[in-house]
Amino acid sequence: MKEHQGSGPLDMVTHTFSRIMMWAPFFIVLIILYEVVMRYFFAAATLWVNEMSLWIAGGIYLSAGLYALLQRSHIRIFIVYDIVPLWLRRVFDILSTLCVAIFAFALIWGGFGEAKVKFWRWETFGTAFDPPIPATNKPLILTVMFFLALQAISNLVRDWPAAPWVRKIFDISVSAVIIGLASTAAFTLYIVPPEGHAVPLKWQIGIGIFLSGAVILVIYGLFRDFNKTPAPISEMDEIEEEVEIIKGQTSIPDEILTGDPPKKTS
Amino acid sequence: MDIGTISLILLIGMLTLLAIGMPLGFASGFLAVVVMVLKFEPTLVTDPFIYGFDFAQWTVGSGVLSRSFGTGPMNILAQRLYGITTNYVLISVPLFIFMATLLERSGIARDMYSCLNMWMSRTRGGIAVVTALMAIVMAAMSGIIGGEVVLLGLIALPQMLRLGYNQNLAIGTICASGSLGTMIPPSIVLIFYGLITETSIHALFKAAFLPGFMLAGLYIIYILVRTRINPELAPLPEPSADAMTVKDKLIYGPTIVTMLVGAGAAIVGLRWIYIHVGARFNPKMIDDTTALIGNSVLWVCGGIVALAAVFIFFLVGVATAKDAWAKSKGMVAPLLIVFVVLGSIYGGITGITEAAAMGSLAVLTLIWIRKEFSFTLLREASMRTFKSTGTIIWVTLGATALAGAYTIAGGPAYVANLIVGYELPTLGVLLVMMVIFLFLGAFMDWTGIVLLVMPVFLPIVLKLPMNELGLTGGLDSPSMVRVWFGILFCVNMQVSFLSPPFGPAAFYLKSVAPPHITLPDIFRGFLPFMCMQIIILALILLVPEITTVFL
Repeated sequence: MKEHQGSGPLDMVTHTFSRIMMWAPFFIVLIILYEVVMRYFFAAATLWVNEMSLWIAGGIYLSAGLYALLQRSHIRIFIVYDIVPLWLRRVFDILSTLCVAIFAFALIWGGFGEAKVKFWRWETFGTAFDPPIPATNKPLILTVMFFLALQAISNLVRDWPAAPWVRKIFDISVSAVIIGLASTAAFTLYIVPPEGHAVPLKWQIGIGIFLSGAVILVIYGLFRDFNKTPAPISEMDEIEEEVEIIKGQTSIPDEILTGDPPKKTS
Repeated sequence: MDIGTISLILLIGMLTLLAIGMPLGFASGFLAVVVMVLKFEPTLVTDPFIYGFDFAQWTVGSGVLSRSFGTGPMNILAQRLYGITTNYVLISVPLFIFMATLLERSGIARDMYSCLNMWMSRTRGGIAVVTALMAIVMAAMSGIIGGEVVLLGLIALPQMLRLGYNQNLAIGTICASGSLGTMIPPSIVLIFYGLITETSIHALFKAAFLPGFMLAGLYIIYILVRTRINPELAPLPEPSADAMTVKDKLIYGPTIVTMLVGAGAAIVGLRWIYIHVGARFNPKMIDDTTALIGNSVLWVCGGIVALAAVFIFFLVGVATAKDAWAKSKGMVAPLLIVFVVLGSIYGGITGITEAAAMGSLAVLTLIWIRKEFSFTLLREASMRTFKSTGTIIWVTLGATALAGAYTIAGGPAYVANLIVGYELPTLGVLLVMMVIFLFLGAFMDWTGIVLLVMPVFLPIVLKLPMNELGLTGGLDSPSMVRVWFGILFCVNMQVSFLSPPFGPAAFYLKSVAPPHITLPDIFRGFLPFMCMQIIILALILLVPEITTVFL
């Protein structure tokens, strides 16, 4: 598959976490297989598979949006966009990025309190297997929204034929924001957690690994090649790619695909 | 601010944002925020500097929304998003996408085509019928389109053109039947419809069965009739060595059916033995819900297997049976997948999510058996699935936020009153809706329509007098009306896949068609097929019983 590898620090983070999360659908298939086998061959249905897949699926939906944004593959309509001059397209891009940022801001503005409470209380789903879905997914929604807004801005900067130093300044400031937020989160989590918080230790460690992973990736992304201009991938490229895949399976000689049909002989 | 103004602003905002090329999901999300602001704190927009420019006093936030960080009505949006992320049925969407991407990468479809071709190529219009049949089987395997049209365009189009088939007929057949993926269950359009309108997806799948096959059947009848009337549209190929004669078919057909029935009976019998032996060790193996465990089942299965064995070994002979298998095995694998997916849904063995997982697994197993499996294949398929999931789910997330905000602002009730206020006859309201669907379908992706328009339209339909729906008034409960309307919507979307100027099927086909076939050519080929779709649409509209037969 053709994909935007990305070049900046933020792309690094999105890309790497997507590389891990992309295996999740396959993982869900495997655990459902386990469940079906246990239920029909050993009459021992599991309690955890349904809720586990629900939990993972929530993560898939949210993080897949980030990946789709990095790949510029969100559904849009190009009727007007394609016919206007370049400068107007830039104006459109800026406007839509602004709108994404406002959306993210509003969501965080409204949802932060609840997410915080549910996280510190480590609220669980209240079912048999009882995974902490509210405790993890509510903050995850806001985190993803935040990164979505950042990613939208980053896409804007990268797709713009901006001067290398503009990108560099952008990259540095984004890295600073991410590192700052990660350290604030780590500080709150380990040093000044609120009274009577109920986050289990293993989760504290897990979130710590996640945060440090993000920071390491950001720093790595900073020192990597900043200024690669991404090759645009259009919708037509996607279709062509699909064609390539299927052609690979069908062994149809090219002359049949391109040639005119022979005239009727009779 | 009153809801009329908000609705107007929303409509204009949506058109503007879509025109400037903003992703649909984010546009809806942003407009959800706009609706919330206009409803709860319009001063944020109309008079942001209500406290002047004295920055010491400059507190925008004193209204309901912006009073304090972290709380307030805006939280409803985050809650709507959370609601979507904890929806069990929605898991089937990535899994069905996964299954389709795997199918696309395997040679299963190609083998099915060459197998069907051997059976049908000596029939007038045979290749077009083969195309339609193959599309139906593929539609019953997975629930999305795109890959299917490309695949048929690559395999069937060159062959039809080479044989001198009428170009319009060839193109129309490929795209119309290739679009059936979202009509014949399992269909991703119906899954989303069920999700948004809280309709039973099982019921939707049951209801879509007959209309889907009616549509497919109509295509096939059309091909057969037209090529009979005008044989020039579909010249017969020169007889070739592997084309089968009628006599061959008469022998091979029953043989392969006998083999399959025998194998099925053997599996049921083995299961009987497994369960009864297992029950000695684990009594939980048998409970009230375990089906097919009576003693008679074993006798019947044994009998069938014995009869099948006698038929194969003594009547037709092992050599012929082997030959029959070789000639038809291309069909067996796809039908097996269809059986796994639809069987588990309709048979009530598993839910839709599990059926999707089992389907993906069946495809993976077949790929493994065909020795096509590789780590790269799995990795690419996963990557693709992840991307498509993000694309489709984020439209859902944005739209669900917008639907939530608009509902709080009283939008659906407003629109419903507006339409009811015109005092149109029931059929008139429905016709207006169908026209709106068709019009939107020509410009917009189906996901957007189901997520944004359905929350407004369905309440109106539910308010209409139930006995006036359809000519005979065959719907007698609100849940049936929901199902029926869902099927109507689904047929509408069939038309939208083909309708100019943005019918996606046309673009998929264009990418694989020989260069001399232009987009207008392709759309011209669609015309008769769109007519058929509209006929079926009208039929379902007038005779709702078509959808409720199996409920």
